Amino acid sequence: MSELALLYNFLAIGGLLFALGLIGFLVRRNMIVMFLCAEMMLQGISLSLVGFGRYHNDWGGQMLVIFIITVAACEAGIALALILMLARRAGNLDTAAWQDLREDGQPAFLDRQVPEERLEDRVWPHLTPAGSEPPRDPERELHRPRV
Amino acid sequence: MTAWLQKLASGIPEPARHVLTCATFWALVAGVIGVWLLLPTRLRYGKALGSLLVAIAGVLFAFDLPLLGDWASQVVLWLLAAVTLGAAIATIASQSPIYSAIWFALSLLGTAGLFLFQGAQFLAGATVVVYAGAIVVTFLFVIMLAQPEGHARYDRLTWGGLPKILGVVSAGLLVGILTFMLGRAKQEATRPTEMAAAPAGAVAARHAEGGVLNERHVANLGRRLFGEHLLSVEVAGTLLLVALVGAVAIAIQGKPRLAQRIEEALR
Repeated sequence: MSELALLYNFLAIGGLLFALGLIGFLVRRNMIVMFLCAEMMLQGISLSLVGFGRYHNDWGGQMLVIFIITVAACEAGIALALILMLARRAGNLDTAAWQDLREDGQPAFLDRQVPEERLEDRVWPHLTPAGSEPPRDPERELHRPRV
Repeated sequence: MTAWLQKLASGIPEPARHVLTCATFWALVAGVIGVWLLLPTRLRYGKALGSLLVAIAGVLFAFDLPLLGDWASQVVLWLLAAVTLGAAIATIASQSPIYSAIWFALSLLGTAGLFLFQGAQFLAGATVVVYAGAIVVTFLFVIMLAQPEGHARYDRLTWGGLPKILGVVSAGLLVGILTFMLGRAKQEATRPTEMAAAPAGAVAARHAEGGVLNERHVANLGRRLFGEHLLSVEVAGTLLLVALVGAVAIAIQGKPRLAQRIEEALR
């Protein structure tokens, strides 16, 4: 197996993964999806690092990836706490809800056309029920306390 | 056909001709348009056309990559890369955040497979364990916070037409520049002499004691981690502790203070 070709392949795959994460982070507005895209960029970097480590027969690449995973775990904890706070205050996960933080004199961002939602797009995952069904309280179903 | 193309290409000055005759360039063009179509859009057949263009781009890009010189590993590598990148595209293209999270989990599994492909066994396991845990937590958050009735407005929209185009094109340019800079490495990798005469000494060094492909891989990794990098491990542990405290502090701030709640109750 040609080691240089292997390195080149992994650099290309890592670069593509990073670019896809970049697109998602720049384009999507859902805070949770943006967070997932940031993690995707880290994965792309990790792939390149492991590729370099193998090519040079050096453990540094893999060590760095271990610390990347650690830092990503810290980032996930703090980001989820922040997202929870922001979602509680704004009532949704939209980043545009926080555009009051923009600089003085910047025009406000407005949604121009909201597309109609087609019926075939409204698909949600079907979760297979597991275990015994808990007893239902019809009163509680009518007045569901806010989660 | 080819002669006609060559005649056409000879009229173009050198650096531009070099780029225009490169399959990676056309793969990136097709990929950029395809991803642009796949992102939340108002076009009727945007998804189907986008998927087709992305598939074409993937084939073109793979066509231009240097071969490993071993068919079994080549097929495995292409499969893993297709799973990872396809799931990554689906992550950013899904309208519902729940599907995004599931596709991202699949992309992580593909990444773990790629780690394993390179002999990084511990990292493959750690990626699955750590990120699978993180993904399950994210998933629960999504289920708790997302609106159950239909998709949210902000999931069916982006920041508008121009920012979407700019984002996709800048990412395409980034990959283009990276592959352009790596051109010499690719030329060396595709040279038949390099393929035929694999440096036996280098391969042996990787499998020798202390090399990255040694069979006592995890033991070696642990020795390095807790030997050379012991201080870094301590710092990382401190960082985790600080992040934990910070997350708790941020989450508690969202609730009204006890005194405030008593005051509201008395009013």
